[in-house]
Formats: sequence, structure tokens, C-alpha cells
Amino acid sequence: MLDWGIIVHYFPFLVKAAVMTVQISILSLILGFLVGLIAALMKLSRNVLIRGAAGFYVWIIRSTPLLVQLFIIYFGLPQLGIDLGPFLSGVLGLALNTGAYNAETIRGGISSVPPGQMEAARSLGMSSGRSMKRIILPQAMRMAIPALGNNFIILIKDTSLVSTITLVELTLAAQRLIGSTYKPFEMYIMAAFLYALMTTATSYMLKRVENKMAI
Amino acid sequence: MKDNIKKDDIMVELRELHKYFGDNEVLKGINLKVQRSEVVVVIGPSGSGKSTLLRCVNMLEEPTSGEIYVEGELLNDTSLNHKAYQKHLNRIRTEVGMVFQQFNLFPHMTVLGNIIEAPIQVQNKTKAEAIEIAEKLLDKVGLADKRDVYPSTLSGGQKQRVAIARALAMNPDVMLFDEATSALDPELVGDVLHVMEDLAKEGMTMLVVTHEMGFANKVGDRVVFMDGGYIVEESTPQEMFTNPKHERTKKFLVDIVDGK
Ligand SMILES: Nc1ncnc2c1ncn2[C@@H]1O[C@H](COP(=O)(O)OP(=O)(O)OP(=O)(O)O)[C@@H](O)[C@H]1O
Ligand SMILES: [Mg+2]
Repeated sequence: MLDWGIIVHYFPFLVKAAVMTVQISILSLILGFLVGLIAALMKLSRNVLIRGAAGFYVWIIRSTPLLVQLFIIYFGLPQLGIDLGPFLSGVLGLALNTGAYNAETIRGGISSVPPGQMEAARSLGMSSGRSMKRIILPQAMRMAIPALGNNFIILIKDTSLVSTITLVELTLAAQRLIGSTYKPFEMYIMAAFLYALMTTATSYMLKRVENKMAI
Repeated sequence: MKDNIKKDDIMVELRELHKYFGDNEVLKGINLKVQRSEVVVVIGPSGSGKSTLLRCVNMLEEPTSGEIYVEGELLNDTSLNHKAYQKHLNRIRTEVGMVFQQFNLFPHMTVLGNIIEAPIQVQNKTKAEAIEIAEKLLDKVGLADKRDVYPSTLSGGQKQRVAIARALAMNPDVMLFDEATSALDPELVGDVLHVMEDLAKEGMTMLVVTHEMGFANKVGDRVVFMDGGYIVEESTPQEMFTNPKHERTKKFLVDIVDGK
């Protein structure tokens, strides 16, 4: 069945590659969160152009495959003289993608805060920006955390797609090792195990954050 | 105390106020003056426009036409550009405190946090100053021991008293109460009315929407009866409750006594 010798020998190599997966996950998670927050706030703007731009962004991302988005950034943009290389292309593509989903999640969180909260803040003389920052967003985020966490987990798994733009992360590393060992079963099982480890650890941490923020 | 304050000071004035929600005209030309230290109680059937009127006084609702003056300053000053207008509203809102039927306390902040938030954020008070004010107010509403708990652990009556303290922390000149006791269990209404009565005795200018006729009679200087977007009748509490002039007023007062 499984060739344990191969597993023991190659596992450290895949762990190293998984470090790259963790790096791009964290980077695109942070960027994607900021993008999502900004897009969500833009969607609430009084200005129809700002609102429209955010709406367009969310629509275009959610209605096209991530793989095509990555190809446009990595293979397409160089044609316009913008060559980001695999790492930046990967992070940008993932961040923009998860950002659109985060935007919808955060917007949902904001609209779930009762309107009386904004009214109370405004009646105390707080500006709309300050009310949003101090009163609405803290409550909206609490409500959004489970769904945001879900987006984070999806993001970690989606990083495997950047293997197609030559970024050597866990999936591409496994593929390359298969090329030299002819052991696809062992390699992919190890990769799957490492993905499960990363997503499960993330879920666990998110649960803790959620409990901590509960009131 | 109330008698030494000069009475000819107009704190709130509404002139020909109209408000539409779509095609629905909810306020049909309201004229009302509230003088310094006066307690004006607004009564009337459901849907008559009481809340809308009150919410116009701090521009939570924008009137369709007409003017709102707070301490002589035009609130809905449409000559200002958007940014200046927002600033102008925020400044005047600090002078007008509002208490809501549903309390609207900030659930993610402690009782103290709720009270010190706006003084720090809006009036640039230091935290120490804000806390000093908050503690005095909590004392006043009888909740000094609740300083560090979250609103979810409070009863409705306690929540509403915190909400009153929160509004008072801005040191407003006028207080608006929109059915402040309607969401409370009957046994908790008294505590909140008591706080409101004390406030009136200290000379606070108050505009109060309520169904508590006892409070209107005892604390009110003037009672305004609204129906269908109009002020139908306004007079002293005695006059209103013993000798109402309009049929609609009589009917409303009879219905109220019969428990609606
Ligand atoms: N935001 C809104 N949009 C549309 N219609 C509204 C809105 N707010 C109030 N109305 C309508 O305006 C009318 C007056 O409402 P308002 O809340 O001022 O009445 P009220 O006298 O306070 O009644 P209640 O005693 O039930 O609180 C009602 O017909 C109501 O449906
Ligand atoms: Mg009302």
C-alpha cells in the first residue's frame, strides 16, 4: 500500500513547501480583509460612482473563476507591461478574490446591526464616520466573524490554484516530487494531510477569537 | 429653582414643519415652541407623527419643508454645503439629548463605556474627565454599582436609566424622550419616570412623547395633542385632562383611560 519510506523521506520537503502556502495565505488574508472592508464601506457611500465601483468589483470577481483571474494577472498583465511574477500575482489574485467575498460578508454584518445603534451614536453628535468606526463596525465584525472565518478557510484551500502560475507552494511541490518519484498517491496524501492541518488549526484559532469576542 | 430661570428663552422652535415619507404626509405643518426649562408632553394616537416630530428636532429625520430652530439656530440650514452641514448638525446634536424607546445602548461597551464614549469622541474630554462625569450621572440615576457591567445584564429600566445618563453626559440643553417607558415592564416604569421628573425639577428643557398621563399631568408644563400629523390642541395639563376642547382629544383621552 503506502510506501512509508517515501513518506518519511519526502515529508520534510513538503513541510517546507507548506511554509510558502502559509505565507501566501496570511498575506492574502490580510490584504483580502482590508480590500473587503474598504469595498463594503464603499458600497455604503453616498456617492453613486464609489458605490458603483465597489459593486462592479464584487460582481466581476464573484462571477468569474479564480483560476481565470490568476491567469489574467500572471499571463495577461505582462502584455501591458505589468509583470508581477508568480508570488505577487498569486497574492494579488487571491486577495482580490477573497476580498470580494469578504466585502459581502462584512456588508451583511453591517446591515445586521440595528439602525437604532447608528441613530443613538448620531444623536450624541458623533459623525457618521466615527459612528461607523466606533459603534457599527465592532458589532458588525462580531456578527461577521464566523462567515469571514469560512472565507479564510476557503482561501487557504484556494492557494493550491497558484500552483498553475508556477509558484512553488505545497501543491506544485508535490507535483514536482511526483515527477521524480512516480509516487502520486503518497505525495498527494501528504499534501492533503498538510492542508487539513492548516485549515483545522485556522478553524480552531477562529473559534477562540469568536469566543473571546462574544458578549 | 425652576422659577428663577428666565422663561422667555425659546429653546426649540418648529415652524411650518412638513414631513413626507414618499407620498405619505406625516407632519402637516407643525408649529411649536419650547421655552427654557419647560416640559412639553406630546400625546396622541399611534401613527399620529409624534416620533417623527421628535426625531426632526435632532434631524434623525429630515423635514421636507419648514424650519427647526434650536436655541435660535436654524438646524436644517440648507445654505451650507454637505460637509459644513454635517458639522453643523453634529454640533447642535450635542446640545440635544435623545432617549429612545428601545434604549439603543451600545452592547459592545460597558455601562461606563457607553457613557464616556461621546464626551471623549465628540467633546474631546480626557478619559478621566469623562469618567468623573459618568460616575456622577450613574449615581444620579441610581446605578453606580453597574459601572463595569455590559448592558445585556441589565433590566429594561436599568438600561433606560443608563441611556438617560449617556445622553446627559454631553451636558445637553434640551432632552427628547420618545416613549422612554413603553418597552418596560410595568414595575420598572416608575424608576425611569422618577429620573425624568428629577431632571425636570432641575430645570432641564424636555420634549416628552409618552402614554403616561400621570407623568404628563404631574410633570408637564404643557401638553400637546397630535392626531393625523397635526397639533390638534395644546394647553396646560389640567386644561387638557379636565376640559379638552376638541372631539378627537376627548375620544383619545377616553380610549386611553379605557386601556385603548
Ligand atoms: N421611516 C419611515 N418610512 C416610512 N414611513 C414612516 C417612517 N417612519 C414613520 N412612518 C410613518 O409615519 C407615520 C407616523 O409615524 P410616527 O412613528 O411618527 O408615529 P407615532 O405617533 O410616533 O406613533 P406610535 O405611537 O405608534 O409610536 C406612520 O404612518 C408611520 O407609518
Ligand atoms: Mg412613536
